[in-house]
Amino acid sequence: MSADPEFENLVKLYYRDLYRFGFSLTGSEVDATDLTQETFYIWANKRHQLRNPGNVKGWLFTTLRREFLKICRHRKRVAHEPINEDAQNFPHVSADVVNRIDAQTLLNVLGEIDEGYRAPLVLYYLEDLSYKQIGEVLAIPLGTVQSRIARAKIKLFELLTETKPRTAA
Amino acid sequence: MNTNEAKEKLLLYRDPIDDADPQFREALAYAHRNPELAEWLREQAGCYQAIRSKLRDVEAPRDLAEKIIRNQPIRFCMDWTQILKLAAAIIISAGITAASLELWHRGKRPVLQGQEIVVKGEVLDLTCYVAYNWSGPKHASCAMDCIKSGLPVGIKTEDGKVYLLTGKEAHVNDQLADYAAKVVTVRGKETARDGFAQIQVEEIRKF
Repeated sequence: MSADPEFENLVKLYYRDLYRFGFSLTGSEVDATDLTQETFYIWANKRHQLRNPGNVKGWLFTTLRREFLKICRHRKRVAHEPINEDAQNFPHVSADVVNRIDAQTLLNVLGEIDEGYRAPLVLYYLEDLSYKQIGEVLAIPLGTVQSRIARAKIKLFELLTETKPRTAA
Repeated sequence: MNTNEAKEKLLLYRDPIDDADPQFREALAYAHRNPELAEWLREQAGCYQAIRSKLRDVEAPRDLAEKIIRNQPIRFCMDWTQILKLAAAIIISAGITAASLELWHRGKRPVLQGQEIVVKGEVLDLTCYVAYNWSGPKHASCAMDCIKSGLPVGIKTEDGKVYLLTGKEAHVNDQLADYAAKVVTVRGKETARDGFAQIQVEEIRKF
């Protein structure tokens, strides 16, 4: 039993969302668990500094992503393929193609996209956030959010068309 | 607007999240009039939902919430009245101990004076360390706040010995706050007063 009901309520309310976000960014259960824990502990230490307590969810997402970037800096950087800027050559991917791959394969594919593009794309899919809210979470302008999501989505679809579907055992 | 322009716009459209977003209005209206584009938009929506479901189906470990709550850091640093009360309590108990030792040792207590020593160890916020045995990287932020606020700062050497760190005529808190919970090497004069080991710092080197 926690001695701090506010902390306990917050954890119960948002740990799933944060874990999913962390998992989608890292593709690793261990890293997602660590990021989720660390995010709540940072909140516990800095809650009095929150300028807008009403936007605690956004603050948690921002913090988790910042911690994720710290991990990226400490680890060997993976060279990602450049993102195609040409939206005219949008590859066709149907829902069936996505349904034929498992979640881990999808996470592996996401992991091939540069971190700067991956986070907005993950928020685009995972959360019911407007583009303005995604920009606030990631501290980037609205126009940048939209262009990054568009480019990342094209890259994701290119990678999905190259991905072999899972085969029955 | 032509089909390609509409596609470029609708590439970002999510139903129903972006329904109220005016930037999609014109392209959506165009899709209503263009069956081929409407079909493309339906496929996009299906694909969006498939990816979203896959990502949202990820389950957090069952015991994650309990684990986070169980290991919750104790709120301490942010409550400055508590910190001041604790610091006052430490100073009072240290004073009582010192007075008792003074009475006990009166007339025979040597004041150990200053051999120069060099020690390497973790910079401690002594208040939290003495009261709660808090130290290490997880406590770094709190330690930094406490040291910055002027609470006693110390160093714990690799062999476990703890020294109070003092300056020659002023506190060394400002110089050490940034090294809270980090390993540094300190050179200075070792002294002891009433049993408290301390170093009068002359040089700090970040290890």
